[in-house]
Amino acid sequence: MARRTTALPLRDRIGSLTSGTLAWLYAALLLVPLYFFVVSAFKSNEQIFESPLTLPTDWDLSNVTTAIRQADLGLAVANSAITTVAALALTLLLALPASFALARSTGRAGKVVEGVFALGFLIPSFAALFPTFLLAAALGLFHTRTFVVFLLPATALPLSVVILTSFMRTIPRELEEAASMDGATSLQVLRQVYLPICVPGIATVLLLNFLSFWNAYLYPLILIGPDTAQRTIQVALPTLKVDAGTDYGVLMAGTLVTLLPVYLVYSVLQKQMQRALLSGAVKG
Amino acid sequence: MTAVADAAVRTSPHFPTDPPARRRRGTVRERFPGLALPALVWYAVFMIGPVVAMLVIAFLSWPGMLVTPSWAGLANFQTVFADETFWAAVRNSAVQIVVGLPVMIVLAFLLAFYVVQKPRGHGVLRYLLFIPALISAPATAMLFYTMLNPDGLVNGVLRPLGVEGTAWLADPSTALGAIIAVELWSGIGYSAVLIAARLDGVDGEIVQAARIDGAGDWRIAWRMYWPIAREFIGVVTMLQFLSLLFNSAQNVLLLTQGGPGTETTTLAYLIYQKAFVEADLGYSQAVGVILFVIGLIGMGTIRRVLRATH
Repeated sequence: MARRTTALPLRDRIGSLTSGTLAWLYAALLLVPLYFFVVSAFKSNEQIFESPLTLPTDWDLSNVTTAIRQADLGLAVANSAITTVAALALTLLLALPASFALARSTGRAGKVVEGVFALGFLIPSFAALFPTFLLAAALGLFHTRTFVVFLLPATALPLSVVILTSFMRTIPRELEEAASMDGATSLQVLRQVYLPICVPGIATVLLLNFLSFWNAYLYPLILIGPDTAQRTIQVALPTLKVDAGTDYGVLMAGTLVTLLPVYLVYSVLQKQMQRALLSGAVKG
Repeated sequence: MTAVADAAVRTSPHFPTDPPARRRRGTVRERFPGLALPALVWYAVFMIGPVVAMLVIAFLSWPGMLVTPSWAGLANFQTVFADETFWAAVRNSAVQIVVGLPVMIVLAFLLAFYVVQKPRGHGVLRYLLFIPALISAPATAMLFYTMLNPDGLVNGVLRPLGVEGTAWLADPSTALGAIIAVELWSGIGYSAVLIAARLDGVDGEIVQAARIDGAGDWRIAWRMYWPIAREFIGVVTMLQFLSLLFNSAQNVLLLTQGGPGTETTTLAYLIYQKAFVEADLGYSQAVGVILFVIGLIGMGTIRRVLRATH
């Protein structure tokens, strides 16, 4: 920085200014709405309209309790938690053996199978929402969480398999051969040799999928539907918005409730979560 | 099977003492990754199956769930291409991509470039950039719904500045822009952290050398970092392209339901609307097929434009 002199072309001086200005401007555009949203959760409509950016006069939780009662958010959080945890378990159950097999396979079949999973990045699963809905009906699982628990792992398999396979490829074959010598079966090798080494990769896959499962909206909306006993938090939240006379304070309080679990995980596992999100683009 | 037997014969000298049955099983396992089968089947049933079904339904006349579908040939496509709403959706999706995507990627690149210089506060900046990626579509939409309503934050900030705001989501001239703004808000941060991760790998010494030679930030960004990261930026661009093209349906559904009129009806939202609101299933899936093709063409184009140059 000290080396920069006034002899620099004007364009360059403008350049160094712009990227910094842009960065902090965007930071402000991220922060101000988030601040506004948190303080609004403790205000009434009048206060939000009159003085959008002042701190609330008192931090009472009446908006939060109203939101929870009005949209059954407690039940919705439980539904989201059940769906997310079950789908995460199923994803690992499917992706771990698959990645293990793909990482060890040397033949052409393995390459083809890997290619099929990689193609999954191109599949606009959203465009096929209606056939998915037919599939749910055909399985007799329409309007149940169960179907979404089955479906979400399928949407997550391509990325999970690609990440885990590349992780397992780094494990030296000698380790596995040593175990095979002792008469271990494939599954034992997977459990005793591969799994312990793959813990960081598994953590990445879990965090990435936790975000996308917890935040899933259209699938649960269509496939689980509006039944309060089954619907997830993301489906319940927008019901706080009504065409005439939305209580914005309650809406923001509800939004706060949906974000808390994610924010908690992020603040505890910040480094791991960032690494997980970065592997979201490992392959195009 | 012959290939498998061949392989068994070829590998046999290495393990002369193994019992033959076990040897063959080992070879089969190597050749075909059997443990991948459950995942493959699962994936085929829940992902590939519906896409194949979409390709079939696009050629059926199916005007409602309770009606028995019949073969329609290309009739759905003829209806789609003759429909003004479809062309409005094409126009809206095109604006969204042509305006939204370059702005998102260029801004994300400049942000990433700034962050990797490690200026003061870059830790805070990196922390903040991740935040939009954590927030779900409904939560983001509800936040913007609150900010963009006529009495919301945006107008509250503009009024003292002497600018009279509008009902951003209901005004035909601003609704699509508002949807794009929401997508930029959440897309720039994530793209920037992805690109920054790639730029972090650039050798600091070359940059230092260029600085000593008097190259300024602007030139270092566009002449050095951009070419190096070009291919990876292509990957990020594809990711965001698909997200804009397909996932925009969520924002539209949550914020405007395609209105006012058809001002914010994007192709992805049209698929949703025709299937689940109007129950015109053949039409909906025909648009699905068209969107699929557009997606492939777009990916090809991005790949071509941002291919590594060497």
